Amino acid sequence: MTQVDFDDLQRTAAERIARASDEEGLRAIEREYLDKGGVIAGLLASIPTLEPTERREFGQSANGLKQAVQAALADGRAALAAGRLAAELAADDFDPTLPGARLERGSLHPLTQVRREVEDLFSSMGYQVLDGPEVELDYYNFQALNIPVDHPSREEQDTFYCDREHTLVMRTQTSPVQIRAMERMTPPFRVIAPGRVFRNEQQDATHEHTFHQVEGLVVGHGVQVGHLTWTLKNFLTQLFDREVPVRLRPGFFPFVEPGFEFDMGCAFCGGKGCRVCKGSGWIEFCGCGMVHPRVLEAGFAGRDDVDVSALTGFAFGFGLDRLVMTRYGVDDIRQFMGGDLRFLEQF
Amino acid sequence: MQVSYRWLERHVDLSGVTPLEVARLLTLHVAEVEGVEPFAAHLSDVTVGHVLERTAHPDADKLSVCRVDVGQGEPLQIVCGAPNVAAGQRVAVATIGTVLPGDFKIKKGKIRGQESAGMICSVRELDLGDEHDGIWVLPGEPEVGRSVAQALGLADWVFEIDNKSVTHRPDLWGHRGMARELAALLGRELKSLDTSLPETGSGEPYPVRVETPGCPRYLALPIDGVRAEPSPQWLRLLLLAVGQRPIDLLVDVSNFVMLDLGQPNHLFDRRRLAGSIEVREAREGELIQTLDGEERRLTPADLLICSGDQPVALAGVMGGELSKVEGDTNELLLEIANFHGTTVRRTAARLALRTDASARFEKSLDPCLALEAAGHLVRILAQIQPSLTLPSPITDAGDWAVPSVRIALPGERVRGILGVDMRDEQIAAHLGALGFGVAIDGGVLTVDVPTWRATKDVTIAEDLIEEVGRTVGYDAIPGAKLVAEVAPPPRDHRRELVRALQDRLSGSARFHEALGYSFQSNDLLRATRGADAAYVEVINPVAEGESKVRRSVLPSLLQKLGPNLRQRGDVRLFEIGKGYLPERRGERGDPAEVHELGLALAAPRPAANARFDAGALPRLRGVLDDLLHVVGAPAPEWRRAAADLPGWAHPGKAVEAVTTGAGGGARVALLAAIHPEVTRDLEIDGDASGACVSLDAILALDRTVSDYRPVPRFPGVKLDVAFSVPAQTPAADVAKVVDHAGKGLVASVELFDVYAGASVGEGKKSLAYHVVLQAADRTLDDKDQRKYLDRLERTAAHQGLELRRE
Repeated sequence: MTQVDFDDLQRTAAERIARASDEEGLRAIEREYLDKGGVIAGLLASIPTLEPTERREFGQSANGLKQAVQAALADGRAALAAGRLAAELAADDFDPTLPGARLERGSLHPLTQVRREVEDLFSSMGYQVLDGPEVELDYYNFQALNIPVDHPSREEQDTFYCDREHTLVMRTQTSPVQIRAMERMTPPFRVIAPGRVFRNEQQDATHEHTFHQVEGLVVGHGVQVGHLTWTLKNFLTQLFDREVPVRLRPGFFPFVEPGFEFDMGCAFCGGKGCRVCKGSGWIEFCGCGMVHPRVLEAGFAGRDDVDVSALTGFAFGFGLDRLVMTRYGVDDIRQFMGGDLRFLEQF
Repeated sequence: MQVSYRWLERHVDLSGVTPLEVARLLTLHVAEVEGVEPFAAHLSDVTVGHVLERTAHPDADKLSVCRVDVGQGEPLQIVCGAPNVAAGQRVAVATIGTVLPGDFKIKKGKIRGQESAGMICSVRELDLGDEHDGIWVLPGEPEVGRSVAQALGLADWVFEIDNKSVTHRPDLWGHRGMARELAALLGRELKSLDTSLPETGSGEPYPVRVETPGCPRYLALPIDGVRAEPSPQWLRLLLLAVGQRPIDLLVDVSNFVMLDLGQPNHLFDRRRLAGSIEVREAREGELIQTLDGEERRLTPADLLICSGDQPVALAGVMGGELSKVEGDTNELLLEIANFHGTTVRRTAARLALRTDASARFEKSLDPCLALEAAGHLVRILAQIQPSLTLPSPITDAGDWAVPSVRIALPGERVRGILGVDMRDEQIAAHLGALGFGVAIDGGVLTVDVPTWRATKDVTIAEDLIEEVGRTVGYDAIPGAKLVAEVAPPPRDHRRELVRALQDRLSGSARFHEALGYSFQSNDLLRATRGADAAYVEVINPVAEGESKVRRSVLPSLLQKLGPNLRQRGDVRLFEIGKGYLPERRGERGDPAEVHELGLALAAPRPAANARFDAGALPRLRGVLDDLLHVVGAPAPEWRRAAADLPGWAHPGKAVEAVTTGAGGGARVALLAAIHPEVTRDLEIDGDASGACVSLDAILALDRTVSDYRPVPRFPGVKLDVAFSVPAQTPAADVAKVVDHAGKGLVASVELFDVYAGASVGEGKKSLAYHVVLQAADRTLDDKDQRKYLDRLERTAAHQGLELRRE
């Protein structure tokens, strides 16, 4: 009988597996040893030709060889996988400076964004947000606001009139919403009314015939000047997220008495005086004041449930456009209505 | 309005109070000071020189060569062209490097071969007047080497007051009024001013007839013995400081009194008057030539001062050419009147002729001021020209009364509004300092308003509270936390809707929010084929043809497509705004307001083989479906829109979304391709569509919360089906067939291909759908799918649709 050296066979197979550099090589070895007609199958097929006494031992050796080859192949595959992983992790074909895929996006108009902040801040202080018509009755825009027929601000050069009789105007301010609020609400109440207003002005970088205001009105019992300053200071401090110095000085608006101009400390120079604040350290923020008794009388006219003589209130109105221009450094107010995407998509 | 520091000092002691402090006091307590500037700052750079020697220029007849001592180093050699320069004079010298008005910088140079190290200045070169026929010979013997400003005491500061902040204050339109405020704020006395009229002769008073209520008071005073000569320097400098050009003594004194007391006045040449004055309303179409040389056509709303019947002045606004004071007159008639504020304002506004006089009259001046101003003017004139005489007593015509307002002011009310703890006596003191008469009786102050505040300005208790508040100083008022019983504001559905739409659009839909003007030009309305609709129109537009108030946000939105499309490939815009419909008016004539979301999309035209939903219209449709879903509107029915199409819409490519169910039935959205003529006129070079969504219609809907369906527990079967159908067949009808054939098993149907070409045959098209079959209670198998397809084939064939099975 032929002598078979199983140890040598196993050593040879192990060496070849260890030398194999890829799956292809391993598969070839696997086929050679383990497939039908392979080395191990040949050995097993020779068993019947052996002496009966040799068969058992030979069979065990052949199976041992088979298991050893299988184990060596598994190890070889694991080593190859580990090598591939190491190579993949070590690869330096990654360019960290490549840009990301461009995300198409939309945008909200900057006036909307700031208007929302304003609405939310006042809402959190218990204010109801009201809306009013842009084409407004003269009564609401002027008469009820203690702006009699001969008041200079009614000159045609300021106001857009919608008819010869001057009963309809493009509202010149958000203040008419004060009267509309009084007509349908019962004190005490707090409202703001943001919206579009119109003045007959020639346009340039800082002037628009169409702009945006936010009106505020608080009516109740015992409302004082100090409440007004507290409210606006509190609002500005939250809006700008910093302590904002404020001051009141005399100002004339027919629908308030006393009337004030409300200034805030210039954010650009910290109050030292600069080009933006024209050296004063202060920036005009809004006109405001204690609601004029005649305005309360007009707004609550015919209301049996409201004792006007017992009421006081304050009102304010500030421009939204200027606030937005200040925040973003927009230098031309006409951009707001211009609709140029190169402007809009920046917000 | 300009106010001079030195002028204020004539009325109140400002020692120790800097100009900046004056500005601060005025701003915080009185009126807005927009700027504080030194008067004629260049005068500080011009030096007093002493002309030591003057010799004729060797090579030029009209030039002189001067040696001028300027107090430093060697005397300078200066070439001067003025005929009046002479040795011994004190002159104003601008040395090398000095910059004079008009950005004129003095440089070293040679004039006709002679070195010149500066310039000897004329009055005009220093911007102090018009005289230019010689150099300015400085009066007296000012110290050589000092600045002209210092040496002559010309230093002054000018405050620019914002006129708007004093529109309600007739008393602040003169220096004395401002000084009165400062005196009260500083706790100093207002200097007394003698405004009594000097003794007059016993001639006949000048006859005046006032025939209109528009002139409550008219004073006329003949003045003799004065000449129109140059004014003294103090007067000229004060006028210059506040921006008034000195003319001659008569004009200057008249202006001075107006700027000093706030009372306009007028001097007529008495020789050119017919011997009497009549104040009357103008006749329709009556003409007057005003002092500015313009001929003005009048109406009965205007007031005229007439000599006999001849108009000589437009009352309260401007004098007439006819009675202008000429240089040689020495017989004058002084007019100081009180005109009705509104009448003057209307005349000035209608004629676009706002003058210093009209600006003051329109504030409703105190009629008592007229007589004071007369005395003041005569006294100043007499002081300068002692030859002045008054031949006859003053005429005081008109029907007027001393303005008188008395207000009861409870001290508690002052404390309540201002939130400041102050005694009644302190309140009284603050009011008293401003000239109010105050008596205190049991917690109530009885306040008499001074005549100069009583014409219109101060009428109610709140006006007085303002007086107290601003003199105390608003910075003395502490902030107070606002606490009140206020119920939380009700939910605001409109605002919630607006925000939901804005967020969705700017977010996943990737639209940009744009804002458009409310006024739309006729050109734009023509281009968007909307010119025939009814519009609210403003009668005084910013520009011709921009008077119409928009009905819809679409036209201006569409206008923005073209220019943006030229910059980029894909333009997606929206605006939420209001439109006004004049044909639907409220009880008081106000037009109906509609709240609208407008959408506009433009992109390059899709390729011929692009998917059916690649164009602007189907893309917008997708956005609209998503929006309606997000805001909780019930799924709408989309159908062809035929009626009520806006002009910009392509009549053959328009659809509308109509909701069914409670509150439904109205058009919620309209979507259309842009009319080809509109894309042409608006130069939109691409595929464009627009849509408008009615916020009002959405708010009227009974809106649902999202219609939740449980996640399926059993896997579904996905299959594709394709049909060959007549080209006119709506895809939605085929989808319905696909759906119904499932008898409830069809979970979704999605069209993914529309194809019309040779392979499907003439007049036909192919429609292909992804279908998902699903059952809630079991896993579907091949048998279910086969049964479904068989049924689909049958029902489709029933409707003339051919299911293509391969």
